[in-house]
Amino acid sequence: MNDPRSIRVHYLLRAVLLLGFALYIAHLSQQDALHYYVAPKLARWIRLCPVPLSLMAVSLGIQALFGKSSALCDCEHQLPRSMFKSTALYGLFLLPLLLGFVLPDRALGTAAAARKGVSLTYVSPEEGREERFAAANPYQEEFAELAGKLYKQPVIQVHPEIFSETFGAIDLYKEQFEGKEVAVSGFLYREQGAGGDSFAVSRFLVQCCTADATPFGILLDPQTQISLPADTWIEVRGKLHTAEYQGKTVVQIIPETVTPIPQPSTPYVYSNADSVAAWEQISSSPGVTEAK
Amino acid sequence: MTSFFPLKILPLLVPAVFLIVLGIVWLPEHPELLENAYIHSFKTAFIGILLEAMPFVLLGALLSSLLRVFVPDEWISRWIPRRPVPAILFGCLLGILFPVCECGMIPLVRRLMQKGMPLYVAIVFILSGPILNPVVYGATLTAFRTHPWLAYARMGLAFAVAAAVGLIIYATVTKSPLRLSIRRESGEAHQLSARGGRLVSVLVHTSDEFFEMGKYLIIGCVLTAGIQTFMDHGSLEAIGGMPLGSYLFMMGLAFVLSLCSTSDAFVAATFLHTFPSGSLLAFMVLGPMLDFKNSLMMLSLFKTRFAFYLFFLIFSAVFIGSVLASFWL
Repeated sequence: MNDPRSIRVHYLLRAVLLLGFALYIAHLSQQDALHYYVAPKLARWIRLCPVPLSLMAVSLGIQALFGKSSALCDCEHQLPRSMFKSTALYGLFLLPLLLGFVLPDRALGTAAAARKGVSLTYVSPEEGREERFAAANPYQEEFAELAGKLYKQPVIQVHPEIFSETFGAIDLYKEQFEGKEVAVSGFLYREQGAGGDSFAVSRFLVQCCTADATPFGILLDPQTQISLPADTWIEVRGKLHTAEYQGKTVVQIIPETVTPIPQPSTPYVYSNADSVAAWEQISSSPGVTEAK
Repeated sequence: MTSFFPLKILPLLVPAVFLIVLGIVWLPEHPELLENAYIHSFKTAFIGILLEAMPFVLLGALLSSLLRVFVPDEWISRWIPRRPVPAILFGCLLGILFPVCECGMIPLVRRLMQKGMPLYVAIVFILSGPILNPVVYGATLTAFRTHPWLAYARMGLAFAVAAAVGLIIYATVTKSPLRLSIRRESGEAHQLSARGGRLVSVLVHTSDEFFEMGKYLIIGCVLTAGIQTFMDHGSLEAIGGMPLGSYLFMMGLAFVLSLCSTSDAFVAATFLHTFPSGSLLAFMVLGPMLDFKNSLMMLSLFKTRFAFYLFFLIFSAVFIGSVLASFWL
């Protein structure tokens, strides 16, 4: 058992670390940088964390400074006894704080996408149609409805709010969408291949946090040559086209224009529970119509 | 530990402080040292997992301290049925009441065990809690909108595995496998005399739990982020080509990725074409029960031998269960 004096030191160190975490999270949410790490639905809960963290720090501080020595006891939770163990423990807790404060916040890009493998097709595949539940499948109904709405557009704008759903709807009915005009933005993903580089305009789909981020991409026609470096944010306008790529039928864009754009404030995309309603809302809002 | 702790800490504190100052003052002016895509992917994954787990760890620690300070021991033993089968059912259903992610589970369960919850019920709760709850069910159903039966199968298999492992533990383990012997009488008296009353003592406890679990969590996050940064998914998929290999591969992936149980279904859904659905089931059932960060936490709670026995039971139960389920699917 540690003596009261060293318990006070431990408590003070812990109070400082807890305050550090509280400050870091508050700093992230103030800088609006939480979305680099977690999805918005989770960010709500993380924004609350500084409250318990600082309360914990304050009560540890009170114990350390004013607590009666007889009340200080680590009999239940052993505090580390040797110097080495204490340094290792608190060093471990310093690590995320240091990484967090020292390195700039940056969105995942090509390096991570290459590791994870970019999905060029969406989840709902051909075999889904022969499935026994296909007839009463609310998912495909949603896609079908969205696809119907998209098809009527002169230029299909792929909104980031419903990126994966739009992509899914187009992928599901790729034959019908052949030749349609499309406009989409994302980061430039470049993959070195035997027959020259292939390019895709990509986004990371984040469900919960960056650990589950899955890169989705739409392949650009292999004839296009782009001199922009990988990870540049681009807007691509062009025609949809289906083609064979590495043994799979995938949707491609034959680009007419590729314009570099600044990185959007939310670089990732998130899934949307009701994409049709979201689409209605986005397309009825005035800001979008002028984007042609 | 002798009396002069602050003096002893000095020789280590000085270089530590120097490093921190160096890190904060000097490094930002030399960003070219850090201009490395790997470091950025690593940081983004590491902080992402840590932030994701943070609310759950705090919630688990807080619930556990509230239990510790406010709930008398007799209550817990009164609630839990005496006979094993109803008790196991009770353990499975607890998850619906406490929808805590697996990272918050261990502190809560340790407290419940100290309050007199039998070992096998605790194990059933650890295993089923992160899967058998409304949040995870909803997330799985959303991820597999095209294949809703996979969501039902996930719930069913999680229940079966938890119950089977619980029964085996009930039948085979008699000695307490806890690492720290339970000291029930020592705590209560002086915690009440903590400055600021019960509320402060709850908070002090919460931070004790936070540091206790936090170290395993951070180690787990470092390993997971490292694997995510440096492991090539494509090169590993070749292993999955063999019929049973895909099961082993998906279970290994679940273990190393350490995803949260509410999000792993979405990751599993991206493998829908490359892998048989039985192996996706194995991925989604094994992941929340056993992964990097939570196996470290379990090793801190249980004696090493018991922990490995438990890992083995979980692994084989999930493997057999998912292979059997694939025949039925």
